[in-house]
Amino acid sequence: MSDIIFIGLSLSSILLLVALGLSITYGAMGVINMAHGELVMIGAYTAVLAGIHLGLNLFFALPLAFVTSGLLGLLIERVLIRRLYGRIIDTLLATWGVAIVLQQLVRLEFGLSFFGIHVEGLGSGLQNMAVPAFLTQPVDIAGFTLQPYRSFIIVVTLLLTGLTWWLMYRTPMGAQVRAIMRNPQIAAACGIDVRRVSALTFAYGSGLAGVAGVLLAGFKTVMPEMGASVVVDGFLVVVVGGVGSLLGTVLAAGILGQINGVVALLSNDIIARAVVFAVVIGLILWRPRGLFSFKSR
Amino acid sequence: MLTLTNLDSFYGRSQALHDVSVTARAGTILAVLGRNGVGKTTLLRSILGLTDRQSGAIRLEGEDLAAQPTYRRAKAGIAYVPQGRMIIPDFTIRENILMGGFAAKGPRAIPEIVPKIFPYLMDNLDRPGGVLSGGQQQQLAIARALAAEPKVLLMDEPTEGIQPNIVEQIEDIIIRLNTELGLTIILVEQNVGFARRAAHDFAMLENGRVVADGAIASLTEETVTRHMAI
Repeated sequence: MSDIIFIGLSLSSILLLVALGLSITYGAMGVINMAHGELVMIGAYTAVLAGIHLGLNLFFALPLAFVTSGLLGLLIERVLIRRLYGRIIDTLLATWGVAIVLQQLVRLEFGLSFFGIHVEGLGSGLQNMAVPAFLTQPVDIAGFTLQPYRSFIIVVTLLLTGLTWWLMYRTPMGAQVRAIMRNPQIAAACGIDVRRVSALTFAYGSGLAGVAGVLLAGFKTVMPEMGASVVVDGFLVVVVGGVGSLLGTVLAAGILGQINGVVALLSNDIIARAVVFAVVIGLILWRPRGLFSFKSR
Repeated sequence: MLTLTNLDSFYGRSQALHDVSVTARAGTILAVLGRNGVGKTTLLRSILGLTDRQSGAIRLEGEDLAAQPTYRRAKAGIAYVPQGRMIIPDFTIRENILMGGFAAKGPRAIPEIVPKIFPYLMDNLDRPGGVLSGGQQQQLAIARALAAEPKVLLMDEPTEGIQPNIVEQIEDIIIRLNTELGLTIILVEQNVGFARRAAHDFAMLENGRVVADGAIASLTEETVTRHMAI
């Protein structure tokens, strides 16, 4: 049973990294970023390409993917999203468009290798990120089999969640983000540069997505479509947890990841997804604003 | 000195202010009077650039702010105590006050005058702003505005919706801020009595236009009756 909980925890971790970015951008800026999954995918490809071309392993891929996805997020914010503030449905459609474009661009470049067609410099076949050997050997500790890579995912997520908490609650920048989340006009009237802070927030959330992509690449096939399902799960977490609530996001990711992991092992993946959706529907009926939401007070 | 010249302001396609020109002389209180819905709040929001679109000039000590975004106007020295206070309920009192400090030149700090005029806030710095009564929230909104170290304070009906025994206290503090700190204040008010007591000048609005203005001493009962009686 402890094995199952462990797998659930690592699923929760990835979910949390994806949802943290979504929660911050949706909470602070009212932007539904449908391209968030593609930023995860870009992070995964960054890891794959860095491994092939630069010979960089997982540990270097993590910061590299954070920067790559973060910069791409900043670009999306600068070019597109900043023109659409306050138009929530438009942001959804526009970022969905960005998602499709990113997906197709990557497919044009790398997608053919799925069919065994050689792509210069990339090799053929399915793409995976090489995980360092010491992270792949299970360790037995007192009868409990510790999966090192799964543990690594959990540790990275804990660190990044801690960092996010510190940034949000212990720095002036975080105070500005939280002020904007609650009342952007008053925040601006208090001297906060809402556009600049929003852009940086968006870039940070995108960077977290990139890190999630690298971690995913360690145990999942890297492909152009990989972001689509991730973003749906991310939004489930955000909705269940309550928009803009760090604690809610952490809890919701934990619950949904565990349910997914446990049910998947007891039956199968399809049933697990159905159960997750059922739980989400139930939770939303029970608490429409999510488990924690400052706006409901 | 804050001078508005030929200010037009819009929400979407509807024009809320028409050709408004008023001046708040340095170190004085300008009372903005008029019935509900004539554009008093819009006037304050326009000074901070919080309406959808505007044209005309807004000069603070000679510097034209009309093309600047809201946060730059705040940093230039304009602070806002909005209608309904708009404090942040789940921020602590300390966080609420320091929020205003993002517009200040120096490091963010609780202004020196706050312990003197609002001792209750100082004793409860770590409690959430949402637990405060209406009058205390008004004090908090004023403290937040002061944390910006402003030159001009925009106050929108500061005594509206506040228990009567606190109203006079808030009124006295507004006068003190003007006399002791030398703050220029633009005060939106429905209460003509308080306007007469506190203000130096007035501007009467009707349908988004200035219909009368001048020294408060020249505000006649006839003008008040014509533009404010319901």
